[in-house]
Amino acid sequence: MIDMSSIFGDFAAIAPLLILMVGALVLPGVHLLGKNKTATWGVAMAFVLVSLAINVIMLLSDNVYVAFDMVSYTPYSGLMILLFQIVLFLAVLVSNSSVETTRIHVGAYYALILGATTGMMFVAESSDLLTIFVGVELTSISSYALVSMKRNDTRASEAAVKYVIIGGMSTALTIYGISMLYGFAGSTNIAEIAYSAGIDGITIPLAVGLICMIAGYGFKIAAVPFHQWAPDVYEGASTPVSMFLATGSKKMGLGVFFQIFLVMFVSGTVCSAIMGPEVQYIFAIIAAITMTVGNVVAIAQTNIKRMLAYSSIAQAGYILIVMAVMSEYALSAGMFHMFTHVFMKGGAFLIVGALICAGLGEKISDYKGLAKRSPFLACSMMLFLFSLAGIPPLAGFTSKFFLFSGAIGSPDGVMYEWVWLAFIAILNSAISLYYYARVVKAMYVEKGTTEEKIKIPKPFLAGIVICLVAVIVLGVYPQLLYGFCESAAAFLI
Amino acid sequence: MDISILALLLILPFIGAIVTLVMGGERQKYAKFVAAAFAAATLVISLYIMFFADYESLGMDVTWITTDLITINFALQVDGLSILMVFLTALLSLLVVIFSASEKDRPNYFHTLVLAMEVGLMGVYMAWDYFLFYVMWELTLIPMYFMISWYGGPRRHYAAIKFFIYTHVASLVMLIGIFAMGFEAMSITGEGMNLSFDVINTVMPLADETFQILVFALLFFGFMVKMPAVPFHTWLPDAHTEAPTGGSVLLAGVMLKMGSYGIIRVCIEALPAGADYWQWVIIGIALLSMIYGAYGCIAQSDLKKMVAFSSISHMGMVMLGIGCGTEAGIMFAVFQMFAHGLITGVLFMVAGMAGHNFGTREIPLLGGIAGRVPIYATFMMIGFMASLGLPGLVGFWGEFPLVFAFYEFIQSEGMLWLILFCLLNLMLTAGYYLWAMQRVLFGPETKKIELDHIHDVSKTEGIAMGVLVGLIALFGVWPDLALSYIGDYTSQLLSMGLII
Repeated sequence: MIDMSSIFGDFAAIAPLLILMVGALVLPGVHLLGKNKTATWGVAMAFVLVSLAINVIMLLSDNVYVAFDMVSYTPYSGLMILLFQIVLFLAVLVSNSSVETTRIHVGAYYALILGATTGMMFVAESSDLLTIFVGVELTSISSYALVSMKRNDTRASEAAVKYVIIGGMSTALTIYGISMLYGFAGSTNIAEIAYSAGIDGITIPLAVGLICMIAGYGFKIAAVPFHQWAPDVYEGASTPVSMFLATGSKKMGLGVFFQIFLVMFVSGTVCSAIMGPEVQYIFAIIAAITMTVGNVVAIAQTNIKRMLAYSSIAQAGYILIVMAVMSEYALSAGMFHMFTHVFMKGGAFLIVGALICAGLGEKISDYKGLAKRSPFLACSMMLFLFSLAGIPPLAGFTSKFFLFSGAIGSPDGVMYEWVWLAFIAILNSAISLYYYARVVKAMYVEKGTTEEKIKIPKPFLAGIVICLVAVIVLGVYPQLLYGFCESAAAFLI
Repeated sequence: MDISILALLLILPFIGAIVTLVMGGERQKYAKFVAAAFAAATLVISLYIMFFADYESLGMDVTWITTDLITINFALQVDGLSILMVFLTALLSLLVVIFSASEKDRPNYFHTLVLAMEVGLMGVYMAWDYFLFYVMWELTLIPMYFMISWYGGPRRHYAAIKFFIYTHVASLVMLIGIFAMGFEAMSITGEGMNLSFDVINTVMPLADETFQILVFALLFFGFMVKMPAVPFHTWLPDAHTEAPTGGSVLLAGVMLKMGSYGIIRVCIEALPAGADYWQWVIIGIALLSMIYGAYGCIAQSDLKKMVAFSSISHMGMVMLGIGCGTEAGIMFAVFQMFAHGLITGVLFMVAGMAGHNFGTREIPLLGGIAGRVPIYATFMMIGFMASLGLPGLVGFWGEFPLVFAFYEFIQSEGMLWLILFCLLNLMLTAGYYLWAMQRVLFGPETKKIELDHIHDVSKTEGIAMGVLVGLIALFGVWPDLALSYIGDYTSQLLSMGLII
């Protein structure tokens, strides 16, 4: 296997980021010179693929790289980077053929989406509150622009304004929390904060700081009660961007939680004995409310993008179980669920996007009779939705199987403490089946107004096929990724 | 990696399902032949396994998913408990294909759904690993959902979604129980989690009593909804009323048995302390289901709904046998599962044909039609008689020994008055069947429906019902053919001290 440090020297840890950064800087120029949308798209794809290839090689070589004593490439960050790259790949793949993204300034569009991904990757490699903050801001600011790019669309403008204001507020909260923690511990390094907390025990500034951080990053993952922006933004943004935000940016927020709180309370020091349970209960309650609200409100939606948005909120709630349980097993299951969620939710968004290109609306009622008009799309959509609902043998079932079992037991045996959370999660799974099945019913059972066949652009087809294969393969053969999730979890905790 | 012949029972219908799925357009009228060929091949293999092979040594075990913590195997095995269910699944799938030969609306998809159901059902009965068991358990839901919502009656959407969500919730509760057993077994053995039946079912009886009681409740709830037992039965009449006849036959014939199979296989085998603790609750639910189901039958005017309620009542008897926890109780509970599978097939075919052939299933609208449709009337009489337990037919061997086993049990407990409920049930059963038969077949000919267009049993329908009636008579006079398998199984349970 190629050792990246022989190519990138000291920069090996940030090699995948570097490629994307260069891409983000070069692409507007490429578009300016070439004036050809497809060429710009091709160059963007090339950057994405090179970055992906480098990361895969680094991930398989199982080395740890450190750059500037600040960011480090570990099995955990490598896996998170892989996840962000897959999301980016899917988003860029379809961008040149989606009617929603071809009329905008494509040079800037690709630069922003690559930049946002760089931010996410930077977060995954950080172990310091400030570098995490910088990465999150890079992603957020790029996303504000991405959402607003669909010009001449009032919904998009509304979404962007809402996103900026709420995002700004969450940023303020976060930075306030970070300053409290700095004042308390004299450092922004997570391990050092954990160490001083272990010596001094729980104090008011520490608690306030942590709560501010939970709220601030809670906005990013759209955990209830910080979720109101998400459906509007996903509905207003162009579908590739919605997909990017729902599957990528949300995972970054969850990653931040893992990196800050799991490191502080589990692999951290004596601190866990002092205030672990309180934080665990806060997260357990947030998880329970998030999944319940997400699923219940999703039932009432008639717009499929909004429905998927609420279902993303619910899925984030499932992953927050990891934060309540705080065990290594749950973390590996949570990371695996993040991957399967990328494929099933990504696939569903791609189908929505493809159908928008084919002239279908976003209402669930527009999907009536889809099975006649495009058997392949209807069948894939059904599989993605059933996977989201956790019907075996699809990927969503397998990852939920691991994730929910994480709330019931650990290698030490059954834990009665979190069984109630598993019950809530499982009841929610059942609720979610109701609204997913409604879409399936519209597609398969109800009669549409027309039986005209649907043609969708080839890149969309490719993206959907990739997601479909992943959903089926990860369902019946999860080891393909689960081993990586386990080593990542072992490394982080 | 050895692939056992058991895997063929999954692979054949699976291939059949795929082949019929792609037979769109002009070719769809040949789908029934393809489906019949695959279903017949499956039946032949299941017969071979049952009569000519040493069925207990056919197990296969392939490592499927391994993580640091969990090992999941693709393990299949049959024993005396499951072999009859495997045979019944193969038989009823083939008969449904034959019975539904005249299906005109997208016949290829109909047969795909039947064969996909067969895969799931076979998987449930042969799975030897809890993960696989659960996967297969859930897999049966999707074809049934589509079968009801594509081919069903007027309220099919409501019935399909109710069936889907109701039983899905129950199986999720069951899943929590499975997790708990896995982790508990892991902490007892001190090794990684292995969800194989061999491991869990040997280790679980060693777990502490409170744990067994709690987990028993979770799993029992999951199985009970599937059976279904009162008060969680309400999905069943809706699903049956709206489902196409073929779907009802599979639903009542083999799908409900998944519940009682699960109770015996999991609750009784793995959690004896739980079974002991909940024994009277089980018996109470069983008696309630029997009586309530029977009263429900009397109240129905729809022939198919009546048969659906009679399923609740008869599955209640199965649960009663399980509740006794004695050798005879379990043995005849399993026999009743098998017998009910055969009988209910005929009953649903008869009820469904009333809808197709006469245009209505409403009992008050029918009357005195025996003269016009003599073959239909014969099948109906045999089916009803078998179901009410006429000696010489298979239903007798399901019911009479069960009542006897229950009698023995309550005698030893000093609760002999409970037998009154059984007697009440027997009376009610005879009552509603005879009354329905009298109103539909005999008496003055009805004037409420057009009788000129009604037609008798068609050839394919006759074959399907004829086979079932033949088997009902065969097992009625020679029950030992089935009991020998069940006896092997119950003597194993006995030797492990799980039953008395």
